[in-house]
Amino acid sequence: MTVLETLLSGQLLFAALVTGSLYALIALGLNLVYGTMRLLNVAHGEVVMLGAYAAYWAFTAWDLSPLLVAPVVAAAGGLLGYALYRGIFKSLLADSSAAQVQRMESNSLLLFFGLSIVLQNAAALVFTPNNRAYNYLGTVYHLGSVSMTGNRLAALCVAGTCCLLVALFLGRSVFGLATRAVIERREAAFIVGVNVDRVQWLSFVLGFASAALAGVLVSMLGQFSPFSGFPYTIAGFIVIILGGLGNAMAGLLAALLLGVIETYGVALTSANMRSMLLYGAFVAALLLFPNGVFARRAAAR
Amino acid sequence: MKFSFSHRRAFVGGITAALLALTAGMASAQADKPLRIGFSMARTGMLANATPSQMNTYELWREQTNAKGGMDVGGVRRKVEFVVFDDQSKPEQAVRIYEKLITDDKVDLLLAPWGTPFHLAIAPVLEKFKFPMVGNTAASVALRQVKPGYIWFPTSAIPDRIGAELTAMLKTQNVKSVAVLSNVLPFTKEIKNFLEPELKKAGIEIKVSTEYPPDIADMTSTLTQIKQANVDAVLALAYPGDSVLYAKQAKELGLNQPFQFVAIGPSDAFFPKAVGAASAEGVVTIAHWSPRAEWKGSQAFYDAYVKKFGEDPDYLNSALAWMSLEILETTVAKTGLDKGKMRDMISSTTFDTINGKVKFEGVQNVITPTAFVQTQKGKLQLVWPASMASSKFEAKKGW
Repeated sequence: MTVLETLLSGQLLFAALVTGSLYALIALGLNLVYGTMRLLNVAHGEVVMLGAYAAYWAFTAWDLSPLLVAPVVAAAGGLLGYALYRGIFKSLLADSSAAQVQRMESNSLLLFFGLSIVLQNAAALVFTPNNRAYNYLGTVYHLGSVSMTGNRLAALCVAGTCCLLVALFLGRSVFGLATRAVIERREAAFIVGVNVDRVQWLSFVLGFASAALAGVLVSMLGQFSPFSGFPYTIAGFIVIILGGLGNAMAGLLAALLLGVIETYGVALTSANMRSMLLYGAFVAALLLFPNGVFARRAAAR
Repeated sequence: MKFSFSHRRAFVGGITAALLALTAGMASAQADKPLRIGFSMARTGMLANATPSQMNTYELWREQTNAKGGMDVGGVRRKVEFVVFDDQSKPEQAVRIYEKLITDDKVDLLLAPWGTPFHLAIAPVLEKFKFPMVGNTAASVALRQVKPGYIWFPTSAIPDRIGAELTAMLKTQNVKSVAVLSNVLPFTKEIKNFLEPELKKAGIEIKVSTEYPPDIADMTSTLTQIKQANVDAVLALAYPGDSVLYAKQAKELGLNQPFQFVAIGPSDAFFPKAVGAASAEGVVTIAHWSPRAEWKGSQAFYDAYVKKFGEDPDYLNSALAWMSLEILETTVAKTGLDKGKMRDMISSTTFDTINGKVKFEGVQNVITPTAFVQTQKGKLQLVWPASMASSKFEAKKGW
C-alpha cells in the first residue's frame, strides 16, 4: 500500500473514528472529574472494565442486548460515582485550606490507585480472571470499499452521540456554565453563588456513567479481563493532555486526533510502534502545547 | 486526614483475629495428615486470564482423587490438600514461592506454575533442593537448555517443531504464499523465528511479515495490508488476549483464506463463544490432544471437565496439566514420597496418559508428536500429523 493509498483508505478512517470516539467518551468522564475537583481518577479504566462485565453478563446470562442495558449500566456507574463522592471525597474536599487543596491532588492519586487495585482484584475474584468476549451484532456491512462490523458501527454511533450531547450540554446549559466556572476558578465560582457541591457530584456521576457506558461499548468489540482497564485510563489521560483540561469540546477533537495518530501511524509504520506513537503524542503535546492543542482560545480568555 | 487511634486498633485487631483463625485451621489440618501439594499460580497480573484452564484441571483432579479416598502414596491413600500462592504473573515471585513451599511449608509434592518463564525460573530451585516436579504448560527451545534431573516437560508444542510441522502441513495444502502476523510475546515470537526460515526453505513466499504489541486494540491497519497482499494462508501467531480481536476483524475485512492458523486461543472453550461458532469453524491451532478411544481416560477427563466447569477443557493446557498429574500419580503410587526414587522413575518410565504414551529423554517428551487441531462442526479435531489425525483438514469457508 502506498502512503497515499493509506491516507485515503476509508477502512482506516472508520477504524480511526471508532477508536477516537471511544477515547473521547472515556476521556470525557476523566476530564470532568479532574477539571472540577482536581482529582486524578486512575481507577477510571476499572469503571470501564466493570461496565464491560455488566454488559457481558447481561448478554450471556439473560440474553439482553448490550445496547439496551447500556443506559442501566451507565446509571449504575453514575450511582457508584455518587456513592464514592458522598462517601469519600466530599468530606476531603470540604476542607478548603490551601495546604489541604494542594495535598488533595496527590492524595486523590493514591486513593484512586488503591481503588483501582481493589476493583481489579475484586473483579478477578468474583468474575475469575478468564478472558471474556461475546459475539453481538457480528454482521458485516459494506459501504463502498469500507466494511464495518455491526458492533463497531454501533459503538461509534453511541459513543459519538453521547459525547456530542454531553459537550452540547456543557456548552449551552446553565449547569455547563457552572461546571466551566468551577473548572476555571473554583473559589470565584463559589463566591458568585455557584453550587459547587452540586457541580462536583454531578461531574462525578457523569464521569462514572460515561466510563461505564464506554465499558459496554468496549465489551462488544474485543475481549477483556479484570486487568484490561488500565490502558483506557492512560488513553484518557493522553487525550486530556492533548485537548486541555476541562474543555469538553477540545477533548472530543483531541480524542479523534489520537485515534487518527494511532490508526494511520500504525499503518504507515508498524503495529509495534503503537505505544511510541501514543506516548510520543503525549510528550509532544506537553512540550509544544502545555495548555492543550485545542485549548488556546480557552487559555487566552 | 483523620485516622483515629481506635480505628487503627480495630483494624490491627481484625488482622490478628484473621491470622489466628488461619493458623488454627492449618493446625487442625495437620492433625489428619493430608498430602500437601504446593504450587504457585498467576491469579493476578497480566497472565491471570490464561491460567484458569490449568487451575481448573488441578481442582478437578483433587476432587476426583479425594472422592476415591485420596492419592495412592506407595500403597496408602492420603487425602490431597493444595497449598497455593499467587505469583502475580511474576517469575521471580514464583521462585520465592517454590523455595518457601519446599523449605517453609514443607509440602509433600509440587505441581507446575503456568507458563514457560515460570518453569524456567523455578528449575534451579528444584535442582537445589533435589525436588522433582513434572512441568506442563511450558514450551520453548530454551527448555532443552535446562539441566535434566528434577523437571520434565511433556509438551510437544516446541516452536522449532511447530515451524517445521506447520510448513509441512501448508505444503500438503498446496499453499504458495502466506502472511505472518505475530504477537511480540516470547512464545509466538519464537515460533515466528523458527517458522519463517522453514517457509523460505520450502519455497513458500512470505508476502507480509509483521508484528504487533500485546496491548493491541485495533488490527485494521495490519489486516488491510494482509488483505491487499492476496495470500493463500494467514498465520496469525496470536495469544489468547488478541486471537478474538484477530477473528473479529478478519471477518470485518473479509480475509477469506481457506487456511487460517491462529496460534493460541482457539483451543480454549472461550474462543467459539467469543467470536461465534461460524467464525471459529475451520480455524487451525496448536494442540496435540483430543478425546479419543485409544487414549485411555481421555474421554472420561473431557466429560468430567465439561460437567464440572460447563465448558470444554483447553485442548493444549488442560490436557498437559492432566498429563503431568497422571505421571505424578503413577510415580508416587510406586515410589512413595522418596524424591530420589521419584526422579529415577519419572526419568526412565514410559507412562500411559490421556495423550497416549509419554517417555522422557532428558527433560523432553520424546513420544508425543507436534500436532495441530482444527475446529470442525464445533469440535476440535486432530488434523496433523496424519499418523494421529482424527479427521482431515477442511478449507475454512469465510468467517
